[in-house]
Amino acid sequence: MRAFEYAAARTPADAFARTTPRTAYLAGGTTLVDLMKLGVVEPDAVIDINGLGLRGIRLDRDGLRVGALERMSDVAEHPVVAAEFPVVAQALQASASPQIRNMASIGGNLLQRTRCGYFRDVATACNKRQPGSGCPAQTGANRGHAVFGTSASCVATHASDLAVALVALDARVELAGPAGRREVPLADFYRLPGDSPQVENDLRPGELVTAVAVPRLAFARRSTYLKVRDRQSYEFALVSVAAALDVRNGTVRDVRLAVGGVGTRPWRLPLAEQALRGKRLTEATARQAVEAGTADARPLAFNAFKPALLRRTAVRTLLALGG
Amino acid sequence: MTDQTSPARTPQRLDEVITGGIGTSPLRPDGTLKVRGEFAYSSDLWADGMLWGATLRSPHPYARILSVDTGPALAHPGVSAVLTHQDVPGENIYGLKTADTPALAEDVVRYKGEPVALVAADHPETARRALEKIVVAYEVLEPVTDPERAAHDDTLPALHPGGNVVRYQPIVQGDPDAVADVVVSDVYTLGMQDQAFLGPESGLAIPDEDGGVDLFLATQWLHVDQRQTARALGLPLEKVRFTMSGVGGAFGGREDLSMQIHCCMLALHTGRPVKMVYGREESFYGHVHRHPAKMYYEHGATKDGKLVYIKARMYFDGGAYASKTPVVVSNATSLGTGPYEVPNVRIEGWGLYTNNPPCGAMRGLGAVQPAYAYESQMDKLAKALDMDPVLLRQINAVSEGSTLHTGQVLDSPAPVAELLERLKRLPMPLENRTAPADVRDLPGGISNTTHGEGVVRGVGYSVIIKNVSYAEGADDYSTARVRLEVIGGEPVAMVHTAAAEVGQGLVTVQQQIARTELAVERVNIHPNDTNVGDAGSSSASRQTYVTGGAVKNACEAVRDVLFAKAARRFGERPADLSLVGGKVVSSTTGVIADIADVLGDDVIEETREYHHLRTYELDPVTGQSPRVHVQHAYSAHRAVVDVDTELGLVKVVRLDCAQDVGKAVNPDAVVAQIQGGSTQGLGLAVMEEIQVEGGHIRNPSFTDYLIPTIMDTPPMTIDVIERADPNSPYGVRGVGEPPTISATPAIVNAIRNATGLDLTHTPVGPEHICGPAFARA
Ligand SMILES: Cc1cc2nc3c(=O)[nH]c(=O)nc-3n(C[C@H](O)[C@H](O)[C@H](O)COP(=O)(O)OP(=O)(O)OC[C@H]3O[C@@H](n4cnc5c(N)ncnc54)[C@H](O)[C@@H]3O)c2cc1C
Ligand code: SF4
Repeated sequence: MRAFEYAAARTPADAFARTTPRTAYLAGGTTLVDLMKLGVVEPDAVIDINGLGLRGIRLDRDGLRVGALERMSDVAEHPVVAAEFPVVAQALQASASPQIRNMASIGGNLLQRTRCGYFRDVATACNKRQPGSGCPAQTGANRGHAVFGTSASCVATHASDLAVALVALDARVELAGPAGRREVPLADFYRLPGDSPQVENDLRPGELVTAVAVPRLAFARRSTYLKVRDRQSYEFALVSVAAALDVRNGTVRDVRLAVGGVGTRPWRLPLAEQALRGKRLTEATARQAVEAGTADARPLAFNAFKPALLRRTAVRTLLALGG
Repeated sequence: MTDQTSPARTPQRLDEVITGGIGTSPLRPDGTLKVRGEFAYSSDLWADGMLWGATLRSPHPYARILSVDTGPALAHPGVSAVLTHQDVPGENIYGLKTADTPALAEDVVRYKGEPVALVAADHPETARRALEKIVVAYEVLEPVTDPERAAHDDTLPALHPGGNVVRYQPIVQGDPDAVADVVVSDVYTLGMQDQAFLGPESGLAIPDEDGGVDLFLATQWLHVDQRQTARALGLPLEKVRFTMSGVGGAFGGREDLSMQIHCCMLALHTGRPVKMVYGREESFYGHVHRHPAKMYYEHGATKDGKLVYIKARMYFDGGAYASKTPVVVSNATSLGTGPYEVPNVRIEGWGLYTNNPPCGAMRGLGAVQPAYAYESQMDKLAKALDMDPVLLRQINAVSEGSTLHTGQVLDSPAPVAELLERLKRLPMPLENRTAPADVRDLPGGISNTTHGEGVVRGVGYSVIIKNVSYAEGADDYSTARVRLEVIGGEPVAMVHTAAAEVGQGLVTVQQQIARTELAVERVNIHPNDTNVGDAGSSSASRQTYVTGGAVKNACEAVRDVLFAKAARRFGERPADLSLVGGKVVSSTTGVIADIADVLGDDVIEETREYHHLRTYELDPVTGQSPRVHVQHAYSAHRAVVDVDTELGLVKVVRLDCAQDVGKAVNPDAVVAQIQGGSTQGLGLAVMEEIQVEGGHIRNPSFTDYLIPTIMDTPPMTIDVIERADPNSPYGVRGVGEPPTISATPAIVNAIRNATGLDLTHTPVGPEHICGPAFARA
């Protein structure tokens, strides 16, 4: 690990003042410190934001608001979250290990970096780590990689489970920076890799994620998160599905569907949602809708199993909610 | 962290009073410290004024080294030494079986991670930064990565002077062209498994005024490390003294050298103590792994299910250096039929050099790979015959007196059919069909993937054979020094061996043996070092057998001296004396004295070796040998799995094991070994694989290399049976490896039973279970 300075910010203004292109904010550190040890990220200074407040889990008329520094475990176990937005609680419960959930923050979770093995190995090329150096995952070890939103520059997945649940629920991120505050839909916050995979989101220099806001959605009570992974105790998703369903008398009035482990960013399936609205929910309609919504999957050499696995998982999710 | 002034020898207070002889399960003397987190491992070693060593490793799987410039690194503030192969004082070559490995690469690197240069500096970070300043110019070469091609394609570059075949071994028995009513065949592959011990490679070298060096380290075999290191250092053995520090797991991964030579070189060069500790990622590159294998198997049987022939060709990827590859080939071929009587056999095994990470010892050495293949074949054959897979195994099972395909006759109990029978009689777990089921009990667990949809139960059996101890003519022995004296009015025994306690409980077993043989309560274990004779490795399931035998022999020698003293003093015949509860007892006159009285101020100290029966090499052409292995061990597993056949997820519901251990010296430790081994086998069945791509490891972390946690580990019923081996001390039979071997095929067979799939690769992942269906869709 390279030598770096450490400073604890006392206020957001203090944090902004300390920011340079060579600093990094530190929340739980479970991504940042890991990548610093590997030499993937080498900030000159680390600015600890844990003293900034940015806490609170609150439900009001507008919906749920969670401070960016709330720990994954606290949000996962919060009774209001579990009752009103089970998909969020379940996505968090199925994320990482208890020890990591106790350390890791919500903001840090949304900003975690990909698990692509080349990204983490500084001895290899990687466009995301070193723009222009190449993307060995295109033809290399890409079993875990994406099938949606890929480009010739990068095929890495976004690894957050929480982000998938939040994108399904039209969540917004609240940001604060030297130039003021703003709010962005989470789905738009993440960028496709295109030809600049090093830019993963819309965060401006020095900007902090201060909170996540989930709009009220009555039928989110009927929501769930399914995650297929190689190890049951803890592991990132091979494929995952977040869904919320509003179904009356067997007919779908509304639905939200987003998938993980398959996209270069959390992947919403609007075509599948559209195909289901107004339909009776049966295995056949669910399958048709999911197939329509995932027709643009582009598998790589070693993840050809993913589209089919994803479709089955999505159908399973819908039927589990509808039944 | 250990306090700065503490001595280099990691202090351990292993002196709690614990009692219990053989056949009981006393507490481990190191147990309390370990549970409390107070046990000092080799990574906790500390000496005043010590430097930190670090290793520069090759970034390329195969390259020529054109030049190395250490100047900029040496100029880095805080750096005391930068060493290359030119600084290796002795011979720059070592190896467990074949000396083919340079301590530091000279003109060529043969795998990614191969050590090229060393740095000693005042801080680990300084050392690591200095590594970045060493300038190495490489000419990158096209790596050899396909072992099967390496065996047969002469156009590939020869990675070593003798070519790319480390060992080829055929075994031929009976008629190689025999034909059979029913034939099944397939090609099986097994991924590279990591030992995944938790304590990374580490040690502390302290230079001595006599020009020698003391190394404190975690290893499996002190003396073999010492011999190889002394050769590289160009020092006589007595100047290279090794002392065991706390070992955080081994499983074979500590049998080859890692930092031993390097740490000593840096200490001798700088005249300062030097500590080296690998990080987790470096550890993945810094030790050998289990050989991946590709195995072609064909079984022929009569309509009634009697095996007629087995033909097999197996390729083992040894990676860049030989390590234990020759032994993997002999074990795999000599055990490659499984525990079955087969009249006609033709098995060929190749161990190859490639530019992949080096592979060597790992629990179940060379027996894990064929067991996965032959036990898959037995189920496939049962299916073809429409026969119960357990019955098929039973009617072909070896028993005492059977002749193996090597010509070796099994000279001790081999209750293979009985192990299966006992498993079969164990109650079956109930199917989880209550609604709503607890998701934690279903495949996917809290990932919520099923509430019963798509779930099919499967049951699979396996039974395997493993050799115990070293084979093929190796003079396999261990040495023990036992001292008996009175301390505080009480007779106290001290056992001194070089045998590595790697977590398996050998310290406890040595105490139990001494307590039993000497009838004293207090037995201390001397720290392991090279001041006593060789103990061999803590591997091949051999230490309770071989070191246990040495401790027994040394205790008997001490007892003889004691009896002679008592006989002289009390006018008894030594032959009439025995020891009971701290007293010397005569068969004619009853209790004659306390041991403490007989000893008085005297100290009795005896050193003895134990050598097991002689073994013989496999004939290089026919593979025949009158006794290739001194002992065989058998274990059987029954796995019950629930498989989500749509999403490809597996939940191992139960993993029951029956094993013959000859004699359970410590029944709790036996069960613990079986639980641990079974879990490691489960890892290989459903999750553990080092992903190697073009010679590069793609998942060198415990986030990406998955091992089972306790949450992934199913309940186990363990049925231990004891059929004494007349040739071994107390009748013991090696315990540690067999369950690792049988767990994997039992689980894969259970998944096959649930899905009907062939499953020719282990570990089995979701893509193997839904992959074929996906292709159909
Ligand atoms: C073994 C392991 C398993 C895991 N498994 C999963 C899993 O299954 N599912 C899953 O979703 N995740 C998983 N993770 C990832 C884990 O959830 C993230 O590492 C964690 O959520 C990051 O949060 P943190 O607070 O530690 O972030 P940090 O490491 O502190 O920060 C991460 C990044 O975000 C930036 N940052 C943090 N907070 C803010 C903020 N408020 N404003 C602006 N920038 C900020 C930091 O500068 C840094 O770049 C796993 C991680 C590990 C190590
Ligand atoms: S997929 Fe993306 S992260 Fe992985 S190597 Fe390619 S550019 Fe780098």
